[in-house]
Amino acid sequence: MKAEFVNPFVSAAYRVLQTETRTEVTKGQVTLEDSPLVSDEVTVLIGVVGRAQGLVLYGMSERTAKGIVGAMTGEAIPVFDAMAESAIAELGNVITGLASGDLERAGYPCKIAPPSVVVGKGTSISTLNIKRLVIPLYTKFGELQVHVALRETY
Amino acid sequence: MPKILLVDDAAFMRMRSAKLLTEHGYEVEEAENGQEAVLKYQACRPDLVLMDITMPVMDGITATREIKRIDPNAKIVMVSALGQQSMVIEAIKAGAKDFVVKPFEPEKILATVRKFTS
Repeated sequence: MKAEFVNPFVSAAYRVLQTETRTEVTKGQVTLEDSPLVSDEVTVLIGVVGRAQGLVLYGMSERTAKGIVGAMTGEAIPVFDAMAESAIAELGNVITGLASGDLERAGYPCKIAPPSVVVGKGTSISTLNIKRLVIPLYTKFGELQVHVALRETY
Repeated sequence: MPKILLVDDAAFMRMRSAKLLTEHGYEVEEAENGQEAVLKYQACRPDLVLMDITMPVMDGITATREIKRIDPNAKIVMVSALGQQSMVIEAIKAGAKDFVVKPFEPEKILATVRKFTS
């Protein structure tokens, strides 16, 4: 796992969260994991193919997801419904899309797949033989964990 | 009243952009993938298309080429999270007039719509 895969996602997440939710974001300690991800209550999954290949995941509690979507829409989100799922998936999509621009400039052009959302805690998601860089981001809505499981291809 | 065709697979993005545009006096049609966009374009001949890129069934670049084949005067603006230079070039080659990168401020999308519909 290349460390240069981290910064594009951190800077993209800062920009997207600040634009969409008008909130400050701080980054915690980045860790490297090789065990399967056990999902939080809401997880957005986005596949990446190209010179960088793998999976990017965004995990958070339902409370955090509702807070983020509420800030995106300007309305309280009492129920995490299909529209809220679409909004949180789009958030992951926009962060990954922006990061892909920085990856291209760093020499790793890649394409991203439409996002999927897993709702429900405790699902084991394996990125097989690709290790995950876990980037905790703290907002006033709670913690958003960005999991970057990418490898360089030739 | 200018008519805008919004093409995005994310229901949330369609809902939010449609609300913004209708509040500013635009008539809005929606499509959730490129194939549906081509059919809706033929049916309603909008003044402007706001087109996402990464979508199931048919992506935005292919849909742009199809719409330009049907109507070479079609005005299409790509609205995408993909900030890659290569993607911008591909979109312009396909016939897009402009490229707006998400996330965007509401005023940015309104200014772009005004530019191509006034």
